[in-house]
Amino acid sequence: MALVYPQFAEELKRCGVETTLECFNRGTCAAICPLIDEHFPRKMIRYAQVGARDKILANARDLWRCLHCGLCTQTCPRGANPGELILGLRRLALKHWRRQSHV
Amino acid sequence: MYDPKAIIDLIAANVRKTRNPFGAPSSLLNRWWRDIPLRREGDAMLFTGLMYQSVPYIEQTTKRLARLEDSFWARYVGLGRYVPSFLVCLGFRLMATDREKRKFDSMVRDIHKILVKSNVDFFYRPELDYYSGILLHDLGDEEGFARHASFVAKTLKAKGIEKLITVDPHTTYAMKVLYPKVTGESFQVKTYFELSKVTANDGSKRVTLHDPCFYGRYLELSDAPRRVIDNLGIGHVPVRSSGVFTSCCGGPAESVSPRLTAEVLHRRVEELKATGAPVVAMCPICLGNLLRAGVQAEDLSTLVARYA
Repeated sequence: MALVYPQFAEELKRCGVETTLECFNRGTCAAICPLIDEHFPRKMIRYAQVGARDKILANARDLWRCLHCGLCTQTCPRGANPGELILGLRRLALKHWRRQSHV
Repeated sequence: MYDPKAIIDLIAANVRKTRNPFGAPSSLLNRWWRDIPLRREGDAMLFTGLMYQSVPYIEQTTKRLARLEDSFWARYVGLGRYVPSFLVCLGFRLMATDREKRKFDSMVRDIHKILVKSNVDFFYRPELDYYSGILLHDLGDEEGFARHASFVAKTLKAKGIEKLITVDPHTTYAMKVLYPKVTGESFQVKTYFELSKVTANDGSKRVTLHDPCFYGRYLELSDAPRRVIDNLGIGHVPVRSSGVFTSCCGGPAESVSPRLTAEVLHRRVEELKATGAPVVAMCPICLGNLLRAGVQAEDLSTLVARYA
């Protein structure tokens, strides 16, 4: 079970992501992604939309598999900028890890 | 796959210490200019961002990372930042062969030659030629990137530098798009090939251009190198994915997963080999990867300088 955090899209704005809620889950990003791997980046985007912060952090290492090649952003029919969202989630995860290592 | 935080913290610590990702002085890295008469004043500064010069070291680092990936020792990679600086310098000097260093330095020398032959009013000051910090941005350390970028932007502005001539896609994207966003400072940025006026009439040659992601998609600059090739009279053999739909060489994953890079690279190599023509690259990371995969490839600068 995952905790849902409705204000997550607002939190992501502080990580430079303005388009979290734009995605309508068409899946073009996952189809064109060179990783060809378990619905990446669509799954992460879905987690972000519903505010499943814990799920994202639990799977955060996968975010660094992204090549930042921009094909998903180039082809997204909603202009939801999936590549930038993944980059924003990296920033979020890194901040989280760094906070944890200072505790 | 390596722990991303360990890799990022190592790179961030190196950039803080030495202004480059390796933790060794940039003067050891940037030596291509030493026997070239340089102009220190002019209209635009040649700004290499140290990327071409870094490739021999990136390749050696990647080889070592590939050997240890997913092994017991992988967890200790982050401890590299505690290695004393004299040992880092010594290791750095011995890391890449002179042959490899000369190979990639010669590409920057070729770019210098192309600009001279094109009558571009430019200058170079090695002490102001900084790494852009782009890897920190790509890996998600936006604070580290912003800190480094602010230092670089302020240093260049303090010297009155407004125009930059860049040589690789990563530095071009950083200086053109990211620096204004994170530092508030803007520069007029052009790539060397946008300024090339080298002409020839070599109708016998045909090549395939491999567009790097940053030139092809992010900056939409694919037409400019094609014009350069056209001006030499050289024909193009199209590859399946190019321009805004170009395929990645896998390079961006190199620092956290050399294995993933190899998988993505293999797919691009198949596309390029299918053209049957020699490949021309415009990014030192792409070129290093393609050569390692056995592709007959050369840099755009090498090709153009042959006619300059």
